[in-house]
Amino acid sequence: MVMIMDNVIDIQNVNLWYGDHQALFDVSMPVQKNKVTALIGPSGCGKSTLIRSINRMNDLIDGCRVEGRMMFHGEDIYGPGTDVIKVRKKIGMIFQKPNPFPMSVRDNITYGPKIHGITDKDKLEEILEKSLREAALWEEVKDRLDKSAMSLSGGQQQRLCIARTLAVSPEVILMDEPTSALDPIATSKIEDLITELVKEYTVVIVTHNMQQAARISDYTGFMYIGEMVEFDKTDKIFQNPSKEMTDRYISGRFG
Amino acid sequence: MGLTDLLTGPRWRSSEGLYGTVPIITATLLVTAGAILFAVPIGVAAAIFISEVTPSRFKSVLKSISEVFAGIPSVIYGFFGLTVLVPLLRDTFPSHLLMGYSWLAGSILLGIMALPTIISVSEDALSAVPKSYREASMAMGATKWETTIKVVTPAAISGISAAIILGIGRAVGETMAVMMVCGNSAIVPDPIFNVFSRIRPITSTIALEMPYVVIGSTHYSALFFLALILMIMVLAISMASKIIVNRTRRKFGETENKPSLTGIIVAKLPVPLVNGFKNALVVAGLFLIAYFISLTFSNSFGAVLIGISVTVAIVASSLLWLNRLKNEGVSDRPRNPSEFIESIPVKIKAVSRNIITYALVITVVFMGASLFYDDVVAFMAGLAVAAAYVTLRSVFRRIDSRVVQKVAHTALLAVMIFAILLLVYILADIFIEGLPMITWDFLTGYPKDAGRAGGIYPAIVGTLKLIVGSMIIALPLGMITGIFLAEYAKDTPFTRTVRNSIDILNGTPSIVFGLFGMSAFVIYFGFGNSLLAGCITLGLMVLPVIIRTTEEALKAVPGELREGSMAMGATKWETTVKVVLPAAIGSVITGVILSIGRVAGETAPIMFTAVIMYQRVMSHSIFDPVMALPYQLFYLATEGMGSPAMQSAVATVLLIMVLSMFTLASVVRHYFDKRIRW
Ligand SMILES: Nc1ncnc2c1ncn2[C@@H]1O[C@H](COP(=O)(O)OP(=O)(O)O)[C@@H](O)[C@H]1O
Ligand SMILES: [Mg+2]
Repeated sequence: MVMIMDNVIDIQNVNLWYGDHQALFDVSMPVQKNKVTALIGPSGCGKSTLIRSINRMNDLIDGCRVEGRMMFHGEDIYGPGTDVIKVRKKIGMIFQKPNPFPMSVRDNITYGPKIHGITDKDKLEEILEKSLREAALWEEVKDRLDKSAMSLSGGQQQRLCIARTLAVSPEVILMDEPTSALDPIATSKIEDLITELVKEYTVVIVTHNMQQAARISDYTGFMYIGEMVEFDKTDKIFQNPSKEMTDRYISGRFG
Repeated sequence: MGLTDLLTGPRWRSSEGLYGTVPIITATLLVTAGAILFAVPIGVAAAIFISEVTPSRFKSVLKSISEVFAGIPSVIYGFFGLTVLVPLLRDTFPSHLLMGYSWLAGSILLGIMALPTIISVSEDALSAVPKSYREASMAMGATKWETTIKVVTPAAISGISAAIILGIGRAVGETMAVMMVCGNSAIVPDPIFNVFSRIRPITSTIALEMPYVVIGSTHYSALFFLALILMIMVLAISMASKIIVNRTRRKFGETENKPSLTGIIVAKLPVPLVNGFKNALVVAGLFLIAYFISLTFSNSFGAVLIGISVTVAIVASSLLWLNRLKNEGVSDRPRNPSEFIESIPVKIKAVSRNIITYALVITVVFMGASLFYDDVVAFMAGLAVAAAYVTLRSVFRRIDSRVVQKVAHTALLAVMIFAILLLVYILADIFIEGLPMITWDFLTGYPKDAGRAGGIYPAIVGTLKLIVGSMIIALPLGMITGIFLAEYAKDTPFTRTVRNSIDILNGTPSIVFGLFGMSAFVIYFGFGNSLLAGCITLGLMVLPVIIRTTEEALKAVPGELREGSMAMGATKWETTVKVVLPAAIGSVITGVILSIGRVAGETAPIMFTAVIMYQRVMSHSIFDPVMALPYQLFYLATEGMGSPAMQSAVATVLLIMVLSMFTLASVVRHYFDKRIRW
């Protein structure tokens, strides 16, 4: 598996523990710029754990410990001098269940920019429109910017969450099963959106749905019980995997 | 006397036959407002600290401290107020307070007493905010503090409002503590914001005058009228909190409480009508409050004008603020005012919000400062504080968010420490003085010299008798009702109405029980001032607590247990008695012990149904009155009888009794928690 490429993130031999329970074993994986990298594997294998450790969301869990190196533009995300806030600003995250704040659409989007010190009203309006447009939501909500975000449909809420993340201009967007709570139509809209987004951003996505990984990703990692069994170009993984276990999982002959 | 005289009469002087309730009702409003002003910042800060900052293993410790606060009898708070707070205020403001008895003292004390309610309900609301909101915020690079203040707190705002409303309910109905520190002059503060004035709220008035009232006189009716007003306030408060709690549930997608009879009727009415009615109720309430208070310094025409303008101002500004915090989520019902507000351009809204905020800051500072300096200086002080507020806000915006977080968390910690120290101080102050006085003779001897010296044996025995008697009345009735509600009653609008009524009874001020007990058992049934009348009154008071704890405990027992038993052919009753009740017994016993603690400390319900101050020989008839510890403490402290050490000793004995009930309850809870797991 030789790859010469422009790695935004390079995960190197990461081990992770929740208290005494080890959830990741010596995981390595590159994340290439302007590409979609997908993580697949049976539930409980550590996909969420891995993706959450990329922007240090696991810091919020008591007793969670990480070893190994996780490089972001050549700097260790877990290095002593690293600013968590900057890391999370640069590496945003979308969750499984749409989680807009119980505020207006506008306040949801401007939340991040305001947190990062932007107070100028015009600038905020500009970010508002730009992010909503990028998330393909502008046309649907432009007349109800001051309505509660909770009144949007599930799919709209998830796109709002994406727009909210785009508003702080990240480089990488992590998505943890972003469509598993959505209906097929909303799902395909998000998938189209992801394909559009990688032109500007880098996407890492956890998915339960193998077809989804095959459809939208450029690279795929297959995980099993905390280990990265195989990582390669998506075509290769789905057509000609090197490991038998991957093959069995892909073809559905697996637990 | 007509209703108008009662409602608009500016003077309450029972010796002259004047029963204008204006100063009395005003006093209740003022002392409650002061208490809330004191308790809300501290209580909400403490709740935020517990919910958002405290590591999870310390949370339960802090929560139990707040429970201890809640369990201290109000007469103990009153005693603390009388012996510590009142002198402290007198020495701090010597030119304003001759003695220290004042609205200020009452508000601070009531504020302390409302703290546990505000802390625990707000903490629940904050903890109920879904983790996903916090994650979303943190994932964007917000600090913990930014997340707390900009996402979590606004999302919990309805629960926090419910907490504040419940705190108001606690303050409005409190009797003993206010009576002991407010000075009890039925006057209106002059100027109206003069916190150093003596005042006399509704509860104190009832408690003070009931013992001397001529049954059936105008005076008697006037006191019942005051009780009625008090009940209306409490009802309004309980309804408001119910509405808010339901709204919160809807917001987080939980199932709402199903409607009771009233709920069903309301649901059948057209929505605009209901909304209109609700709005009208709020507006009328605001107007009445403003009208009342302005009656005290203006004629009725002026009062109407002031009432209208204050109402408009409050409605407009709260709509603006609420609109900002608005987070109800799914727009299920058209809500008229908010749509109007939404049509206002954002910029205008922001500007008017700022104006309202600054006007408020300036007014509050002005009111405070004008009590000390002349008006010009006071106004300048208001401006200065507003300017400082603006500067500070913009400075904080520029500082690194992690530094802001440090500062904020430190401030929260300081508030928490202040609250804990306050509790420690109250307890330590009493124990240190009281403990050395407690000897075997003190506990087993009879009082001498009208209670100034000697022992408190009859008071201890009297309190125990009251506990046993009230439990004999309340336990069987309460447990059977609780079992019925949990196991047998179908979930119908009727049973929901019963439950609501029980909850309302639960929130009824204890002085109202006292008043009811006196007129019903002492006079109407002719039991006289007696152990029997006191036990029935106290029993009625704790009945709702016992019903509800029994019901909740039984409902917490998983259904499989019942099915398992029924499947073996056991009857419903056998299942309830042999399976469900034993499984729930821990929680039931805990609830019972807690209500014993409450009975032991209550003063208002027994003061005109069961107690006397002094008894040299103990009587064993249930038709004779008894001595009781809380009343003894009240009597000694307010009459200045006996040495301070002796008063503290009585307080100590009472505290030990109540606190040991608490300890016992938590031991029982832990024991059963360990034994039973599902
Ligand atoms: N907060 C946590 N504390 C302890 N163990 C956890 C926590 N979160 C996940 N785990 C454990 O880590 C393993 C991987 O979980 P997760 O990353 O959620 O899997 P996936 O997302 O692939 O379904 C599981 O065994 C799970 O039980
Ligand atoms: Mg997962």
